[in-house]
Order: sequence, then structure tokens, then C-alpha cells
Amino acid sequence: MSLTPNEAADALRDIESAGRRSGQAFGYRYSGRHFMLWGAVWMVGYAGNDLLPRLAGPLWLAALVAGAVGSALLSRSGPKGTRKSAWQSVGLVAIIALFITATYAVMWPVSTAQQAAFVPLLAAAAYSAVGLWTGARWIVAGVALAVLTLGGFFLIHSHYSLYMAAVGGGGLILAGLWMRSA
Amino acid sequence: MTDQPDAIIHQPIRLKIMAALKALPDGEQLEFVKLKDIAGATEGNLGAHITTLESARYATVQKDFAGKRPRTRVALTREGRRAFEDYVAYLRDIIDAKA
Repeated sequence: MSLTPNEAADALRDIESAGRRSGQAFGYRYSGRHFMLWGAVWMVGYAGNDLLPRLAGPLWLAALVAGAVGSALLSRSGPKGTRKSAWQSVGLVAIIALFITATYAVMWPVSTAQQAAFVPLLAAAAYSAVGLWTGARWIVAGVALAVLTLGGFFLIHSHYSLYMAAVGGGGLILAGLWMRSA
Repeated sequence: MTDQPDAIIHQPIRLKIMAALKALPDGEQLEFVKLKDIAGATEGNLGAHITTLESARYATVQKDFAGKRPRTRVALTREGRRAFEDYVAYLRDIIDAKA
């Protein structure tokens, strides 16, 4: 029982294909938990903008800290080979928060609606870009988030933050559930 | 380079099962339903191949419940991981020998 080079090449192709599909499904399952966590963070933060505007700042801060801690815990509980240190997760959140703060400072003045739309659009671009390497579900999540954010920004003129709590936060939670089902 | 491929792995469905499990981090399990989809096998056929891999100590099977739903998950053993790497090296040697 020996193989020809063509049979060996076919077998390697089968291995590559099965491995890619399995790795992709694992990636979706693993990322789904982070999507759901950050969906909850957005839901709390954006709902606070609309329902408790005087507490919106502290509420966002508390939600972001909870998100960073949650991300760190999720990353540490992941399988071997995928674990990031708590500092990497917290550092990533800090870098993104600083980037967003710096962008607002440079672009100031920006309206509440512009602020509310910017982060989801940034996330949508990041998800779509990640999807180019890791799988179509990321791209679908990114495009859906961008369309809903832009649609709301141009069509909804009051309670935009509440709308973003529902479609941004809720959308991320649904995207996380969808990814976990892969 | 060994002259003969590993007979346990050298079967199209089992090869796909091993490749799917090898793509996961060490110790990570894959659900039977997902494995069935990736391997393109029927339920009975897949079960028989998994039993073969389990008998060879290349894979472990864990059965439990997710809520009320019965769940079967399969993982690669260290021995299985090594055997699969040897098998891939065997395939690459064949291709390299031609070049």
C-alpha cells in the first residue's frame, strides 16, 4: 500500500480543507463569547445615554471596566494556545479607549449621535477586516452592524442611543449566539 | 521515511476526522454533529470510524448532556496527534521525492 504523488497531494488537500473548517468553527465558538459580552456592555452604555443621561459617563466607565475584566477572564479560561494574559486583554481595551478619546478630541465638537455612531462603525470595519482572514460570519456581522448604525444615524433623529443599545448591543449578542452555533 | 502509511489514518473519512481534530488546540473537543458535517459521513459511518480511532488510542470520546440534549464530543490524544504528524510527513515525503 503505497501512494502516488498525486494521491498524496489529494490527501494533503483534504487535510487542509478539513482543518480549515474545523479551525474556523472553533474560532467562531470562541469569539462568540466576546461578542456577547461586548454586546451587553454596549447595551448598558447606550441605554444609559438615553435613559440616564446625567449618569452616562460613569455608567460607560463601569461598563467598559466590566467588559475589560470580562474579556480578560474569558481569554484566560480559553483553551491552551489561545490564552492571552489578563494584561493583553486590558491593554487592548485601553488602547481602543484611548484611540477613541483622542479621535473625539481631534474632531471636537462632535454630537452625541456622532459619538454613538463612531465606535460601532469602527468595530464594524474591524470585524469585516478580521473576517477576510477568519471567516464570512465576521464579515456578515460587520456589514450588518455598519448598515444598522448608518441607517439609524441618518433616519432616526431622536433616541438614537436607545436605538444603538438595541441594534448595536442586541446585534452583537445575536451575532455571538450565531457564531457559537457554528 | 516509512514505506507504508499508518493504516488507521489512511482512510478518507478517518483522515478528515483526524485533520479536523488536529486543527484544534491541544485537548479541545469537537462535537459529533460538527465532525459529521466536516467529514461528510453518515452518523453510523462516522461512529464506526471514531470507534476505530478510539481503539487505536488516537482519539477519546466523551458523552454527556448539554441541558437535556445528549452530546458526544471527540478529541485527539497525544498519541493521535503524533501519529497524524507522522502521516502528514509521510505524504510530504512522497511529494518531495517526486520534485
